Amino acid sequence: MLDHAWFLVSEAFVALRRNRLLSFAAVSTVAVSLYLLGGLGYVYLRVSEYAERIPGQFDMRVFLKQGTTFDEIRETARRIRAIDGVAEARHIPREIAWRKMREQMPKETEGLENPLPDAFKVTLSDLSKANQVRAAIARLPSVEPNGVVYDEAARQYMDQGLKFLRWLGGTLGGLLLVTAGVLIYNAIQLTILARARELRIMQLVGATRLTVSMPFVIEGMLHGLLGGALANLLVWASHVHLQERLASLQATANLGTYPIGLGFAAFCGAGAAYGAVCSVLSLRKAMRQTT
Amino acid sequence: MEAPPSPSQPLVVFDQVEVKYAETVALDGVSFEVQKGEFVFFVGKTGAGKSTVLKVISREVRHTGGRALLNGRELNGVRASEVPYLRRQMGIVPQDFALLAGKRVWENVAYAMRAVGASAREVRRRVPEILERVNIGHRADAFPHELSGGEQQRVAIARALINNPVLLLADEPTGNLDPEHSIEIMELLAQLNVRGTTVLVASHDVMVVERMGKRVIRLESGRVVPPVEEMGLA
Repeated sequence: MLDHAWFLVSEAFVALRRNRLLSFAAVSTVAVSLYLLGGLGYVYLRVSEYAERIPGQFDMRVFLKQGTTFDEIRETARRIRAIDGVAEARHIPREIAWRKMREQMPKETEGLENPLPDAFKVTLSDLSKANQVRAAIARLPSVEPNGVVYDEAARQYMDQGLKFLRWLGGTLGGLLLVTAGVLIYNAIQLTILARARELRIMQLVGATRLTVSMPFVIEGMLHGLLGGALANLLVWASHVHLQERLASLQATANLGTYPIGLGFAAFCGAGAAYGAVCSVLSLRKAMRQTT
Repeated sequence: MEAPPSPSQPLVVFDQVEVKYAETVALDGVSFEVQKGEFVFFVGKTGAGKSTVLKVISREVRHTGGRALLNGRELNGVRASEVPYLRRQMGIVPQDFALLAGKRVWENVAYAMRAVGASAREVRRRVPEILERVNIGHRADAFPHELSGGEQQRVAIARALINNPVLLLADEPTGNLDPEHSIEIMELLAQLNVRGTTVLVASHDVMVVERMGKRVIRLESGRVVPPVEEMGLA
């Protein structure tokens, strides 16, 4: 049994050696398409997860008009909390803010009267609604004109990044996966042509369909497997790069460690399965013609 | 071991067999029987249908009419998954030898054995024995291009013997050989027949066929031509 399995695997390696150039094309295309589909899919998920945590870090500051009364502050807090997309609104009394500032900058604040207004720290529950939240808060009567401070640039960067990843992974990855499938299909077709005599001999002497077809299926699986391994390395590199970019944007940003072992298993498994499917499709035609 | 000839059940029965490809009729009501242990030549011009007869027996072609039986079993009733096991009962020698150019003589035979599931140990044990049986053992390490046509045909026959077949089908085995090598190959097939293997040969080489003095089934345009005595012309 093992002896026969070894025969089938060695036949697949013979085919890989014969079709070196086409094998290389198939492997690299599988790698790029799996990277774009699976790899960017993974990065997208991790960035989405991170983006959900971002509102806590990108909190919105709302400054009230000087002389706002306690009742007006309470009413403003109630109305801010009622806005869709707001998770929390915490009142920062002007005295407390001033005390903190004096502790952090004693020289600069020495001898000055408290110039700070009452403020709110607003935490978002939905990053995509940041603009609506800002506009709604700005319309409140107790809020200072231009009194809503929010890091729009950071939010837009994240949002655009996510959109780009989704587009790149979906469109380009899908197209390349089809291309990779065609390349694997053609590689197997060429192997079948190159090995027509072996195929005929196998069939003449009574080799089973499984024995005749298995070397070709293994070859397709090897294309996918190698492509999957390469894709995993590309995803790992992208993960490291993105982590560095996010770290430069926010000190607290962290995508965690890339599970490289699990990645190898997932990418190689997906690649091998895809390679097997493409080679079986390619073989069906040839087997119909030669049996 | 090869089965001894048995007059009770013919090995091959063709009863009004027809094979039609689209517009072409390859076999048109062909009937004959072959007993176990027989040596039979199918002769005729190109396109007469002799190769098609062998292909029906090896199930490379399905007949479209009549009955074709091997060992009492209707060949069209053999499922696709059973065809490999059917072919292991027979050895097939193609006209073009179909040897693998990049493999040595012994590797050509070993490859076929490995394809039908023989272990590496079994291959090492049986390949020299099979090569000796067809008198090509002394060229075991040669590549096909280093062999004469006759020697290449011996390798093809050796490969056909790996499953110890009871039936050997040879399609124009002397088609690419000179007269001297043709006789040599036919004598080899006759030796195998003496040991019990039923041999069916498609050939258009009248000289060789006559020299062998075996049973002849003559085909013309897909039909069996009755022997002269049956036509009342003797």
